[in-house]
Amino acid sequence: MKLTPRQLTLCALLTAMALALSYLENLFPLSLAVPIPGVKLGLANIVTVFALYALGPGEALLILLARCFLGSLFAGNMNALLFSLLGGLCAMGTMALLSRRRGLSIYGVSIGGAAAHNCGQIAAAALSLGSAAPLYYLPVLLAVSLLTGGLTGLACACLFRGLRRTNLTKG
Amino acid sequence: MPMKPPPKLRPTAWDGLVVLCVAALALGTAFFQWRGGTSQALTAVVSVDGTEVDRFAPADLAASPRTYEHNGYTLEVALSIDYEHPASSVLPPSGKSGLCVVRSDCPTQDCVHTGTITESGQSIVCLPARFILCLEGGTPDPDGVDAVLG
Repeated sequence: MKLTPRQLTLCALLTAMALALSYLENLFPLSLAVPIPGVKLGLANIVTVFALYALGPGEALLILLARCFLGSLFAGNMNALLFSLLGGLCAMGTMALLSRRRGLSIYGVSIGGAAAHNCGQIAAAALSLGSAAPLYYLPVLLAVSLLTGGLTGLACACLFRGLRRTNLTKG
Repeated sequence: MPMKPPPKLRPTAWDGLVVLCVAALALGTAFFQWRGGTSQALTAVVSVDGTEVDRFAPADLAASPRTYEHNGYTLEVALSIDYEHPASSVLPPSGKSGLCVVRSDCPTQDCVHTGTITESGQSIVCLPARFILCLEGGTPDPDGVDAVLG
C-alpha cells in the first residue's frame, strides 16, 4: 500500500486524534457504572469507523496499529498491548466485513465492531490469565456494546453529516 | 479527501439484525456462563497467573480476610454479608453472603468495584494482578438426602 503525503498526513492526524480520545475516555470511567474489567466507551473507535469509510480498510488498519502501539507505549503498560491489539483487530475485521454489506448503516457497522472488540478483549484476558473465567463478563460486555457501539455510530454519523456541508470530502 | 462509498447515516432494518445477533450472542453466553447451582456448599478458588493458589469455604473468612500478593499488587479478599440481611453478622440461612475484594492497590480498581459474588460460577478478575477469585460448587447432590425426619 503506497500512501501519498496527503494520505500519510491524514493518517498521522487521525492517529493523534484516536490517542487523544483514548486518553479522554479515561475521564469518563464507565467501569464505575458497570464494574467490569475492560468496559469503556470506545471513543477511539470513532476514528477507526471514520477512517474505514473515508480512507479505506488498509489505512484504517494502519491507524489502529499505530494507536495500539503508541497508546501502550505512552501508558508504559505493554501488557495492555495484547488487549488493545486483539480487541482492535477483531473490531476492525468485523467492521471491514460489515461495511461491505450495502444494507447496513454506520450504526450497524459500529455496533458489530464494538461487540467484536469486547469479544477480542475477553479472548485476550482469557489468554493472559490462562483461565476461562473472564468469559463470565462477556454477556454484560456484549450488552454494553449495543449502547457504546450505537453512540460511536451516532458520533460518526454526525461527523459525516458535518463533512458533507464542507468541501473537504471532494477530491 | 476523496470518500470511499459513502456510509448510510440513518439506521436500517439490517442494523436491527446486527443488534439481534449481538443480543442473541449475549443471551446465549449468559445462559452458558451464568447457570450456577444454589449457593450451598460453595468453594472459593483463587488463581494467579492461571495457577490455583488457594481453595477455601467462604465461611472460613468470617474471622479474618485473606491477603494475596502477585505481580506487585496486594489484594484483600473478605466475606461480605448480603445487604438484604444487614443485621446479620454470620452467614444467613439463604447462603446469600458472598466474597468480595475489599482492598487492592491495583490501578484500575475493577476488582474492588465488581462487588460481592454469591453464586457458583461467578468470579472477580483483577487483570493487573493477574488474579482470579472464583466460586465453585453449590450444585445440590441429586442423590443426596433432602431431609431427615423424626
